Amino acid sequence: MAQMRRLLTYQGVEVWRHTKVLQWTLQIVSGIVVVALVAWFFTNIATAVQDREIPHGWGFLDREYQTPIGQHFLPYESSDSFGYALGVAAVNTVVVSVVGVILATMLGIFIGVARLSGNWLVSRLATVYIEFFRNVPLLVQLFFWFYIILALPPVREGYVIGGGLFINNGGFSLPFPNASGVGPAVVWSLLAAGALAAGYAVFRALALRETQTGRKSYPVYAGVAVAAIIGAVAWIVVSLAAGDSPFIITSPEPQGRFGRLEGGFTAPAGLVVLLVGLVTYTASFIAEIVRAGIQSVRRGQTEASRALGLSPMETLRYVTFPQALRVIVPPLISQFLNLTKNSSLAGAIGYADLTNVAKTMTQTAPAVSIFLLIMAAYLAMSLTYSLIGNLYNRHIRFTGG
Amino acid sequence: MTRVLPPPRFEVGVLGWVRENLFGSWFNSVLTVVSAAVIVLALVYGLRWVITGADWTVIGVLGGQLVIGQYNTEGACTGQNCFWRPQVALLMVSAMFGMAWAMAGGGVARRLAIGVVAILALFAFLPYSFERMGMDVRILLVANIPAMLAGWAIARFTGMSGRGIVIYGVAAFLVTLVLLRGIPGVPGLQPVSVIHWGGITLNLLLAVVGIVLSLPIGIALALGRRSNLPMVKLLCVVFIEVFRGVPLITLLFMSQVLVPLAFPEDFNTNSLFRASVVITLFSSAYMAENVRGGLQALHPGQAEAARALGLSAWQTTLMISLPQAIRNVIPAIVGQFIALFKDTSLVYIIGMLDVVEISRAFIQGNAEYLANAKELFIFLALVFWVFTYTMSYVSLKVEEHMGVGGSPQAAIARMAGQGDASLQGMRT
Repeated sequence: MAQMRRLLTYQGVEVWRHTKVLQWTLQIVSGIVVVALVAWFFTNIATAVQDREIPHGWGFLDREYQTPIGQHFLPYESSDSFGYALGVAAVNTVVVSVVGVILATMLGIFIGVARLSGNWLVSRLATVYIEFFRNVPLLVQLFFWFYIILALPPVREGYVIGGGLFINNGGFSLPFPNASGVGPAVVWSLLAAGALAAGYAVFRALALRETQTGRKSYPVYAGVAVAAIIGAVAWIVVSLAAGDSPFIITSPEPQGRFGRLEGGFTAPAGLVVLLVGLVTYTASFIAEIVRAGIQSVRRGQTEASRALGLSPMETLRYVTFPQALRVIVPPLISQFLNLTKNSSLAGAIGYADLTNVAKTMTQTAPAVSIFLLIMAAYLAMSLTYSLIGNLYNRHIRFTGG
Repeated sequence: MTRVLPPPRFEVGVLGWVRENLFGSWFNSVLTVVSAAVIVLALVYGLRWVITGADWTVIGVLGGQLVIGQYNTEGACTGQNCFWRPQVALLMVSAMFGMAWAMAGGGVARRLAIGVVAILALFAFLPYSFERMGMDVRILLVANIPAMLAGWAIARFTGMSGRGIVIYGVAAFLVTLVLLRGIPGVPGLQPVSVIHWGGITLNLLLAVVGIVLSLPIGIALALGRRSNLPMVKLLCVVFIEVFRGVPLITLLFMSQVLVPLAFPEDFNTNSLFRASVVITLFSSAYMAENVRGGLQALHPGQAEAARALGLSAWQTTLMISLPQAIRNVIPAIVGQFIALFKDTSLVYIIGMLDVVEISRAFIQGNAEYLANAKELFIFLALVFWVFTYTMSYVSLKVEEHMGVGGSPQAAIARMAGQGDASLQGMRT
């Protein structure tokens, strides 16, 4: 009996009362249960796939997709493979996500600041905007914009806003710098990026000098001038070498009887609806984040900077906003993620995003494989945004220096 | 002797307010003029369109389908009128509002109860012909008023407790499910397949299940993520991050494809069940992060003091940490409820006809109403807005009642939980 008892004790405590033992048992049991469940699911799936002859595996990726994709930013032919088509669709999603994030942030900051405005009417207007747009499902808003665009006149009778802007039921057309050839465009783009980097380096050096010595050094003007001069010189050199400008800005021109618009850039209706819907919806959330962030800065900060003689704009620019940013950035990043994931509603309004193309593919290829792929793609996008956000957050946090 | 001068006329009263809030500086004056012009133009054109330009008949044509989808069609409920079944379920909801009023003793619960039954009773006077909206439908709508009053009286005179209303709620929900599903062989209760359930009823059913279940699951996940057991922590982190990292519609789609394969063939699930499980799990992952924010913002001294007083780890968590943490993140939690309700519109991906999808399908199938699609979707936007705005209004009142709104702890917790109710978006 005593022997038995000693066997069931650990460090002098009975095992069923020993915290460590209990915790480890719990962990091992939960681990085994989860592994067993997953294994059971996989066996079931494997048998079902075999018994019911459901297509499976990854061989489809090299097959020809043979289905057109409505809108694509990468060159695409129906004879391209499933794998490449998925990549084209992923780029469509990334384009919407990046453009949407930029526009939504700008609109959101504008409305968030408007909501805190001392002007009663302006802040009321901003409140109404926020309360309406964030409380209605995005899908309903997308359908609303979709049917608005659909009700617009056709291209031939469409609205001309002026300055080369066209809006009609085919989408939204605007003047756009189109590359005259791949070579010169790429060369000049690289040189322009170099010019920007050089301009930024000059700006940093002069800004540092100004803060260290107190002498006026005009870092912004100098930086912009350096970038502009290098860019212009590169433009002339590339133009002379290639015999043509690397980019030519063209305006959309109505052509023919049915009024096709040639030149410029035409955002098709689906893309316009998706962007308008995502931007107005997400901006209402970003506005609230910006408001909460600015309000989180103590009043004394504003008062002190005003007492030191800074103007209201300077106070916002140098005192309030940098401090608010620390509160704003983490939830802002999660809004960027939400926007990216919300872009998966594109299928409802006919834009060929990743989810939409994947859903179409499931008719001719194994659904499980495709959806595992696109879920991994969304996870990768989420992680990228989180990574950028965390890096930026580390950059702006209190360093005590 | 000194004479006390009245304050300058332009610094107090209405004029003072106008000067300070609308015409404080030249820039402010410009803003006021511009926004006033925007408001006037929007009101003039908007109202003119609403009254003379818009054609709202499409809403009337859809009528009952917006409420319950294809439930009451010949294909679903053959040879019978089944519209009374969801209506009786609604009576039970009204009774529950009455009970809540009696228990709260007034305030927001009373306003909500009276408002809801008043609106429902008003629906009885919609200008439909009696062929399209029968007398029985109208009477059952007005019956919401006595149902609410009966609920109030029962709770009042039996001294119903909080537990009582929870038990009633669960029972009413189960009865609703049975009523809608029907019982084979019982006359008048012929079975209606779940695939015919739709309309706003479907959105509300999914939302209720999700709201009730996602909070406890979310709390469990949050505790798991903060646990010091590596295995438990790992499982919770993976679950939360995977569910938060992918769009809800891909999860819904996967549930449609994968669940029939992953379970043995005799384990049959319908799409309603699968959709509620996926929406609940998805929402739990977000809920877990909200609760975790609240737990993180809690001063560690609270738990330490509780342990020092001799409470066990479980007692400390359940009685000290969690109540404070949850109280501080109520806005974030309600924000997630709202997001969940909006998310129920995504079930279109698995072919369920919720209120949004049935509207879209109707427009697509009836080209003559294509021009009126915007009226229909404006109406849907208003319907959703009324529900979500009521939720955030109730949340605000609850918060005021608990006195947490402006406390510094609440502010910190909100930031840690990444925002108040307003900051939560729809997560597709």
